[in-house]
Amino acid sequence: MTGSPYEMKKMGKALFKADFDVFCHCLPGHGTSPVNIKTVRWQDWYTDSVAHYKNLTKQYDEVYLGGLCLGAVLALAIAGEYRDVRGILCLSTTLFLDGWTIPWYNFLMPVGVYTILRYYYSFPEREPYGLKNETLRKKIAALQKRNTEALDNYPMSCIYELLKFSKFAQKNMSKVQSPVLLIHAKEDDLTSPKSAEFVYKNIGSAIKKYIRLENSYHLVVMDNERDFVFNACIEFLNGLSEYGSQTQKLPHVDDNFTESAGLL
Amino acid sequence: MNIDIKELIKIIHTLPVSLIALILSNIFLIAGFVIGKLAMYKYENAVKFFAYFSVVMCILFVLYFISVLWFAISNLYFGNMPYAAIFLVFLFLPFIIGRFASYEKIHLYTNIQILSLIVSLLLALSFI
Repeated sequence: MTGSPYEMKKMGKALFKADFDVFCHCLPGHGTSPVNIKTVRWQDWYTDSVAHYKNLTKQYDEVYLGGLCLGAVLALAIAGEYRDVRGILCLSTTLFLDGWTIPWYNFLMPVGVYTILRYYYSFPEREPYGLKNETLRKKIAALQKRNTEALDNYPMSCIYELLKFSKFAQKNMSKVQSPVLLIHAKEDDLTSPKSAEFVYKNIGSAIKKYIRLENSYHLVVMDNERDFVFNACIEFLNGLSEYGSQTQKLPHVDDNFTESAGLL
Repeated sequence: MNIDIKELIKIIHTLPVSLIALILSNIFLIAGFVIGKLAMYKYENAVKFFAYFSVVMCILFVLYFISVLWFAISNLYFGNMPYAAIFLVFLFLPFIIGRFASYEKIHLYTNIQILSLIVSLLLALSFI
């Protein structure tokens, strides 16, 4: 949410190095100014993503979806509707806004979100910028000033759309049958692991894996454990494509819960 | 126009707290929305200003909802069913306006919101 493909650049490069063709698209309203994001509805994000997904299915036999934050929710929603999604990478899935940087006056949010105040209010983006790594944090703060297409605030209207989309995704969660890898930081500043745990418990997928990171915040693809995240994603996708080439049926694995420490 | 301050204070003392809260929250909300409307495009990049502004507006809205509900319940208690029903409408009106609002038509919806607050203020003043 309010991010840009820039944040996914390293992830894309890592996947490309591992012989995957990578396509990353910028969601409607993102990558420009906060005014534009105020004019979009969650249906715009969804239909745009579905259109891109359909295009990819015309070009490739196997298409995997992945995303961070809102992107992860989008990937789950698409997989709920399209059963041919071969696998999903859900990074910092944001179904609930309950991270530790959410301001103390969060209890007033329903009043702000469900009235016209949502078009007036924006959460200013502030430290830690979703990053535990302090060096990176300074870098991002500097980059934000140089306009990297990532917005410096979250308009409340965007949160309203995210919450509505989250409800839609939650309703369809059991329809998701594709294999899912969930990666979520224990100390995520924007959304607590509750979101990932909800997905893990409620999806209909036979293959699901949940990795909880110990040394990152929300932007897991840029933070301290980014290499671990990239490797876990590549390993998961390779595993799926291997199974896919051997048989069309995927093996049944349950309760595949892992802590990041000591895995690699 | 001569305003007798002592007389005014006497009148205020006789008013129920819910009515005073309703009148004050209405006045502040109207003023807040007018300021917000005027400043919205002019100072669009003043994110921090709008953040604090909206928090204050949210608190005022909470005060407004409590006083409207309180007022509606007390009217219900004293058998003034039409007034109770009207105030219950005012309780949900900000959410109904919010449901249909869009950024493209924000000025129109802000005007509707201001108008509804003026009506509820006039209604509250009629109880004095």
